[in-house]
Amino acid sequence: MARRPRVEGGPRTGPGERRTRSGIPLAPVYGPDAIPPERARELAAPPGAPPFLRGAYPEMYRAQPWRIFQLSGYGSPEEMAARLRFLLAQGETGFIMKRDRVTNDHLYDLDHPEVVARREDVGQSGAVLLSARDVEVALEGVPIERSYAHPGAGVVQAAPFCLTSYWVAARRRGLDFRALAGTGQSDFFLTYVGCMTREQIPPRVGLGFNCDLIEFCTENMPRWVPVSIAGYNGADSGLDAAQELGAILANAVEYLEGVKARGRFAPAAFARQIGGINLRTSMAFFEDIAKLRAARKLWCDLLRGRYGIEDEKALRLRIHVVTAGSAMTYPQPLNNIVRGTLMALAAALGGTQSLGVSGYDEALSIPSDHAHQMSIRIQQILQRECEGLVDVADPLGGSYLVEHLTRELEERAWTFFEAIQARGGFVAALDDGWLQQHAIDNQFAETDALAAGEREVVGVNCFPEDVCGFEIDGFSGGADAWERGMKRLAELRASRDGKASAAALRRLEAGCRRGESIVPLMLEAVAADATIGEIGEVYRQVFGTWEAPLAL
Amino acid sequence: MRDPGRPRRVLLAKTSFDGHWRGVMVVARALRDAGFEVVFLGQATGAEILAAAEQESVDLVGLNIGGRIEVAERVVEALRQEQAALPILAGGTIPPWAAKRLEERGVEVFPPGSALAEIVAAAERLTS
Repeated sequence: MARRPRVEGGPRTGPGERRTRSGIPLAPVYGPDAIPPERARELAAPPGAPPFLRGAYPEMYRAQPWRIFQLSGYGSPEEMAARLRFLLAQGETGFIMKRDRVTNDHLYDLDHPEVVARREDVGQSGAVLLSARDVEVALEGVPIERSYAHPGAGVVQAAPFCLTSYWVAARRRGLDFRALAGTGQSDFFLTYVGCMTREQIPPRVGLGFNCDLIEFCTENMPRWVPVSIAGYNGADSGLDAAQELGAILANAVEYLEGVKARGRFAPAAFARQIGGINLRTSMAFFEDIAKLRAARKLWCDLLRGRYGIEDEKALRLRIHVVTAGSAMTYPQPLNNIVRGTLMALAAALGGTQSLGVSGYDEALSIPSDHAHQMSIRIQQILQRECEGLVDVADPLGGSYLVEHLTRELEERAWTFFEAIQARGGFVAALDDGWLQQHAIDNQFAETDALAAGEREVVGVNCFPEDVCGFEIDGFSGGADAWERGMKRLAELRASRDGKASAAALRRLEAGCRRGESIVPLMLEAVAADATIGEIGEVYRQVFGTWEAPLAL
Repeated sequence: MRDPGRPRRVLLAKTSFDGHWRGVMVVARALRDAGFEVVFLGQATGAEILAAAEQESVDLVGLNIGGRIEVAERVVEALRQEQAALPILAGGTIPPWAAKRLEERGVEVFPPGSALAEIVAAAERLTS
């Protein structure tokens, strides 16, 4: 805390000088110099062809608009099922099964003392899904065989349980789960950078889990993205655009090297499986458009340059965008609908494959039904009313400014990537807090810029007047989630084959100690209706927990 | 009473399991820069916050709230029962109706977007 924020990172420094959020100086105008001959050649490659500057697919949104992909989930499994059916009827084309973070992220059952102390929070940040039975209920009436699913596998240590419980629920319906389409997340930025919480497995153990998932899906699940790298959670805690990109590359290298070192699959065999990432768009409008374009080029260059991969499917990065929650203001919350629209537009102009828009009540609450609907409507208006947006790929391609920023971000991202590699790689850089410190430095610089009025946020440090009497109540669902879940938990413990679940847990523990792949072990434990808390107990015994490097 | 010879000491904690740390870190830095000693407890229950407040002899408690207001209220009650005079500040994602409930219990609430100078001024006033 004694460190002073770096000046770099502030949006504007010095009288008359303008910079982007990540410190790239801005000239008053850009011209043809922004596109040197080599870049012109790269831009001549159409969308869908390497290096993918102009888009991941040839026809982009003309062939298929971006997927409307909102976070959702609260309360009981029954409430999640109703919510998923509602969202699909509202026009969503995939779904995210957000799981209760109190139980799921910490691998606690509902009767764990830490959960009891916070029981009203249970079911607020996601649905309470403690076993495969709960997941079955949460999927009732949901056409999973033709849906693209994110079964809630956000936090690294929870991912094997979240994915296998979805797969087992599908199998109990008589489906071949290997044919399902969807994505894991199992994300280091969420778990160890953006939302650090207690009792997480050490990052090295998590890296092993993710390599297990990559191997399993490479072998068994052609339509499943086993892990995705979610830069969002680094960015919204402070990493700037270049740092977000550089850290994503470093994260990818951990997976590529980790799986390669095991000797079963060469990077060319599984690189496509990890080529789905998540980025944040914020109010850094042009820089974020450039960021998406740069990300595709960087990914392609990484795989071609370091691993010699030429398979275009592997070189093609697919991007999911979430708009910045931190951009949403507490005062004058309806202004956030405008912010959400701009951030969504940046994602579309950058060529995202799917998009979640943060709720206009983000600074106050979990999204209310209306805020959730608004996030969908923003995207529908962009897709159906904003003429031209879905008709022409890469509408800003060739823009002097956007091409300049794209090149600048590429260069700066590689610099940050090399700095991470020099520290021993991505996991080493977050394990000791180095990466988090960069986020903190930027937060402080942003806060100082706001306090000094160098950066303006309407309704916060300028134009505080508000004639609108609109007041937000926030989210109010799921109030009885803990009580209802306790009943289900008691029923589960009474009715399952206790010997079978205990035996599966013993095999899980023995397998974890021997360093076996987590996926078959977890499939067995979940199929025997072991609970998430029982699985967590095994982890805590075997792996211990990580000390978050967040020191003042 | 606070020993006037030692710096003012503030305990910061998160009442819920929400893991977002950006807001509380920024507030911690502002208080540190204003001369406070900052003890950051992370996610903690009422009993843990109370124990730390007593052990560290803090002059002020700052609660970062990222979940239901009932959880925060339980923490406030635990503190009030044992240390009725200990001032409490709160920040985080708190809807206006919930902020009122905390204010009725004597907690000063600073929602997102509050100026850090205001938070520091309140901390100084409450510990002077």
